Amino acid sequence: MTVLILTSEEDVTADMVVARLHGTGTPVMRLDPADLPGKAVLSADFAHGDFDGHLSVNGHVLSMGGLRSIWVRRPGEPAAYAEHSSPWLTAETRQALYGMLHSAAARWMNHPRNADQARLKPWQLRVAHLSGFAVPPTVFTTSPRLAREFAEEYRDVVVKSASGPPPGDPGLALPTTLVGPGADFSAVAAGPALLQRYVPKRADIRLTSVGTRLFAARKTAEPGQVDGRYGDTGHAWEPVPVPERIGKSVHEYVTLAGLAFAAFDFAEDEDGIWWFLECNQGGQFGFVELETGQPISEEVALWLAQRRADRRSPESRR
Amino acid sequence: MRPFTLNYAFPRGLPNAVTPYHFDPARQLNVLPDGRPAVSDPDLLLAVGTTTSTAGSATHFDD
Repeated sequence: MTVLILTSEEDVTADMVVARLHGTGTPVMRLDPADLPGKAVLSADFAHGDFDGHLSVNGHVLSMGGLRSIWVRRPGEPAAYAEHSSPWLTAETRQALYGMLHSAAARWMNHPRNADQARLKPWQLRVAHLSGFAVPPTVFTTSPRLAREFAEEYRDVVVKSASGPPPGDPGLALPTTLVGPGADFSAVAAGPALLQRYVPKRADIRLTSVGTRLFAARKTAEPGQVDGRYGDTGHAWEPVPVPERIGKSVHEYVTLAGLAFAAFDFAEDEDGIWWFLECNQGGQFGFVELETGQPISEEVALWLAQRRADRRSPESRR
Repeated sequence: MRPFTLNYAFPRGLPNAVTPYHFDPARQLNVLPDGRPAVSDPDLLLAVGTTTSTAGSATHFDD
């Protein structure tokens, strides 16, 4: 039974898991949907009430009947590298590939349906609240008046992107940033703005959830630092225990969201409270493992290689 | 009009360094020039920054 990893070739974080799977003798196929059609080949035959399908790439062949699990890590757009790539070809290829995979009896980390929902920042905040996390007041708006009133009410507010920097412009950074006093909010009318009350923090917390295992890491923040992803604070990530209350909330969140993998970001304030900022359903974990030594890739590999669903762990299922 | 959020964007500059490893299709992971898996050298991976939370590909925003 084979583990299928959908990701790009340059994804060295996926390498960490591939190496673990090699070490345990677990069959694995690594496929970038961008290579389909072309380098990769797909075939799915519907007969006798079910699909009998195959995938092949780089000399590796996978039969749908032998598919154990699917890790949707950092896949490219289907057909992105095709000789005659187009939005239509991407849509056709997506139908063929994901339609076939959705028909297989495999475990997902994470199922695309759950992943799509879990990426929605407004939804995240509601689920976080329902799960018992502390969530800073937040507004999403295209109204300059409401944005201005929010800023006046909470004084120190940050602006952040809900979807990341504009795609196709890898040279552009869009960090979470404090909105200065007297800001002109008129441009809020040109696109939804995400404003949030600033949480003065003494540390960033990154908590990675894999099945039922939790790995928390902490990095001391500089005074006034807003976005821990940018700027060198001189501090390293260090492993920290997961408070019992936080652990329960994480379990509640991933169960509600149907996530087998999730990377949570918190801001730890001066009172030690972990404020929920966001949950990345496909978040990076390589840098945490490399700095802390936490065996996250090993846990991902173990989850993917499990023969049966662990009923205690949140499942990503159809 | 430029959306409000984009007023806080700035060019971060792309690294010029070429990653000192390449994908090995047979082994399905990236390897160093001497054949060792790139993941066998944690210090190198930390130095090139390809596992950090801002190292997402152009198609992904999951930090």
